[in-house]
Amino acid sequence: MNTVARRLSGHLARGTAMIWVVTTISFLIIRNIPGDPVRGQYEKLIEQGMAPDQAERATAALYGFLPTGSLWSQYTDYLNGLIHFDLGQSLSTPGTGVATLIGSAAKWTVLPVLGGTLLSFLLGVTLGVYAAIKRSGRLGDALAISGSLLHGVPQYVIGLLVTAIFTTLWPILPAGGPVDIEFDPGFNAPYIASLVQHATLPVLTYALASYGGWILAMKSSVATVLGDDFILAAELRGLKRGVLFRYIARNAILPLFTILALSLGMLFGGAIFIETIFNYPGLGLLLVNSIGARDYALMGGTFLVITVAIVVANIAADLLYAVIDPRVRAGGAA
Amino acid sequence: MTESFAPGVRVRDLTVVYKTPAGELPALAGVGLTLAPGTITGIVGESGSGKSTLALSLLNAVQPPGRIKEGSVEIDGLGDVVKLDGEDLRQVRGRKVGYVFQAAQNSLNPLKTVGKQLLDLGRSHDVADLQALVRDARELLGRMGLDGARVLDSHQHELSGGMRQRVGIMLALVLNAHLVVLDEPTTALDMITQATILRIVRDVHHERGLTTLIITHDMGVAAEVTDSLAVMYGGRVVEHGPTTEVLGAPQHPYTQGLIRAIPRLSGDIDEARALPGRPPTLGTMPREGCVFRERCPLRMDVCDTVDPAPVTRGERTVACHAVGHQVSPPRRKEYA
Amino acid sequence: MTVTQAPQVLPAPVSPRRNFWRGVARVLRRKPSRMAGVAIVGLFAFLGVAGPLLYPNPLPRDDNALYAAPSWAHPFGTDFEGTDVLALVVTGTRYVLLAGLATAVITVALGTTIGLLAGFHRGRWDTVLMRLTDLQLTIPGLPLLLVLSTVWKFTSPIEMGVVLGVLGWGGIARAVRSQTLSLRERGFIEAARGLGLPTRHIIGRELLPSMAPYIAMNMLIAVTGAIYAQVGLFFLGVLPFDANNWGVMLNLAVFGGGALTSAAALPYLLAPLLAILLLTLGIVLVVDAMDEIFNPRLREE
Repeated sequence: MNTVARRLSGHLARGTAMIWVVTTISFLIIRNIPGDPVRGQYEKLIEQGMAPDQAERATAALYGFLPTGSLWSQYTDYLNGLIHFDLGQSLSTPGTGVATLIGSAAKWTVLPVLGGTLLSFLLGVTLGVYAAIKRSGRLGDALAISGSLLHGVPQYVIGLLVTAIFTTLWPILPAGGPVDIEFDPGFNAPYIASLVQHATLPVLTYALASYGGWILAMKSSVATVLGDDFILAAELRGLKRGVLFRYIARNAILPLFTILALSLGMLFGGAIFIETIFNYPGLGLLLVNSIGARDYALMGGTFLVITVAIVVANIAADLLYAVIDPRVRAGGAA
Repeated sequence: MTESFAPGVRVRDLTVVYKTPAGELPALAGVGLTLAPGTITGIVGESGSGKSTLALSLLNAVQPPGRIKEGSVEIDGLGDVVKLDGEDLRQVRGRKVGYVFQAAQNSLNPLKTVGKQLLDLGRSHDVADLQALVRDARELLGRMGLDGARVLDSHQHELSGGMRQRVGIMLALVLNAHLVVLDEPTTALDMITQATILRIVRDVHHERGLTTLIITHDMGVAAEVTDSLAVMYGGRVVEHGPTTEVLGAPQHPYTQGLIRAIPRLSGDIDEARALPGRPPTLGTMPREGCVFRERCPLRMDVCDTVDPAPVTRGERTVACHAVGHQVSPPRRKEYA
Repeated sequence: MTVTQAPQVLPAPVSPRRNFWRGVARVLRRKPSRMAGVAIVGLFAFLGVAGPLLYPNPLPRDDNALYAAPSWAHPFGTDFEGTDVLALVVTGTRYVLLAGLATAVITVALGTTIGLLAGFHRGRWDTVLMRLTDLQLTIPGLPLLLVLSTVWKFTSPIEMGVVLGVLGWGGIARAVRSQTLSLRERGFIEAARGLGLPTRHIIGRELLPSMAPYIAMNMLIAVTGAIYAQVGLFFLGVLPFDANNWGVMLNLAVFGGGALTSAAALPYLLAPLLAILLLTLGIVLVVDAMDEIFNPRLREE
């Protein structure tokens, strides 16, 4: 238990450092955008006839720091706001907090990303075992090559191809948006059916884009485990095939959890492309649109939340690893 | 289940080949060996002499790229295991023939406790009374000087090398297999533990009436526990007979060399003489003639062309042209 | 092993260099797909160098054939202003490859230097540099690129290379460090030190050459990564379109031509996608061959 706590605290320290670096980058970028949007907003409000101190407060509500302060005071104001979970106000959707917008966008990213990851993980791991066992066969070769190819191709290429096939050439699925607007939101069959229809292509794209990586990783991991002495020993003890398979699979999946942590970060990057292609209102699309709309508070906030999500995913994956591997749990030499 | 009968084992003309870029090379070339029921047989030889391959053959478990090319391994009650496959073979392994792996320190699944692996073993062989199995395992571990309950509750990384090796032996014995193969069971152990483990192996062997095969490269181990001893060189059994006779009056020049190479505690270190040259590897094995001739002090012309066939007289078998000439002229069968 | 080979009468003395090329030829011959990989990469390299010379500048427009369907004159049809799509792909190759190459050079230079320093000096240097590497690896790269694009329009191939390189050296640094450490384990460095060789010599003459194949392979992988990233950035439309390249084509096809809803603009969308897929395939196959040439463990099989 001690080791887990130690690992956790290390992760938290590193995660905090990363979040701090990201916020500082966001701050410096917002401060240095050509034309100074903060100052611009302040002056625009004054031109519209607002009193200077009122305009100052209105701008500060947008960005989290006063337009007239020094760089350092602006920086500390900004950090202070973030510590109190104040991400500022959105410019492109007036009267709405950045946090609210992010909150409603998050569910459209998290569910498809998790669904796609789970699907590709199961598929890739199963086929990876097969590719490892039939290493010299033709099908094993084909699986390995298709794995490296899919692993190498960027998500947007897969997304565009999938869309071209299923919405233009053979239009069986809707092209964009999260749901048809004609249905009443709620727990009713047509609405849910529409949700599922719209989610199919994004989830498929997530799955296709990452499954090649799982095949390759699982294949090499299984090959390593098959060479381990304890597998031969188990075979010589006459263990049943099913038991033997479980021994191999569990030992081979273990190292994949470290990759899982990294891949979740990659998927959030991929979400930007996939949500843009499918016009899916998640965090990625929010980030792209905020840049297009010059809504810099929203941009900084979204960037921050994506970073936090990656830090959390990393920690979760590491804890999962500790639960599965008794060596880590006990703190022995792993 | 507890019917006590020790099976005999007859290995005949066993040839095992390994696939290499240079073609299929023999690791065992026509090996013949008989294990008398109820005895402990030792196999000694240098690394690469084919000891482990022979041991694996008893379970028909030669690993690719190797394969059994011809020959048979008859075990009483099981028939020829070379012909077994699939489910039949699996049921033999573990249940009828216990096997202690060469690298027994690494023979456990790192993610499961010893107890869970014991239950996996029991369920794989349809043991009805799993509680009795656990009891037996605890008792065996206890006899080997371990805290059985604690060991069953442990993962591999919580056990020392010696403890893991003893767990490996326990797993080979706990299903009451009557033929037990131990491949270098005591390498990497200190002298005291080694002695303890050998004593237990011998005790269990006698109590349960087993047939036991011990592979080792340690002449001391062989001398201490075995009833009969086979010496392997270059994929062949060159000498086989009762241990006391083989060690006391070795006939094959290789056995003589091996024994001369052992330094004795009492006596002059200079008396120990290393065997000149190196053992052959798969690639350097001579294609014809005697495989030992390069290092042999008794080399004759015939050794270059004819591989000496094993000749059995009484309880002893030797494969050497020189021995045939010295001890008895050819064609004379009886020699008392 | 080939049957057609004439029996060699005299075993000619073979220099190690020639031996190496023979190994390359053998590895390529064993899987014909690898030859195809080399051919594909060669073709794109040729297009990158000579592509813009094959067509007049600016490219001719055919106002009567907007979004024309594929034909003999226009194998992939035309775009929204009647320009031949194939010509766009071919002339766009130079930008794509140049930016990819610039990125790869910067990535490899940064990654190798940092990895070597960390592995060679160990201790405090190592800790600091590896923390930095971890940070670089976990920071969400693409979102950072998008945010960065608001302050700096890095559109030229060199600028693009600098940005992508600075955000992408972590993987190589980590790999080079572990390679350095493993060479160290084998007593490489201590032996050189014992001979009184200066540090510069040890790094330049002993360490780098033994890692060169490895670095070359990583560089190729870095090229693909860089190509994806820059095409993706242009596709998202966060950077102004200075020059014609594949990413710009994708953006215009999807957001201008509605290629995702109408079949007319589909060839315009598919052509750059096909180019990306083909280039990826080529590089994957070449890396596969390089892996076998430089990795003796695989070669023995």
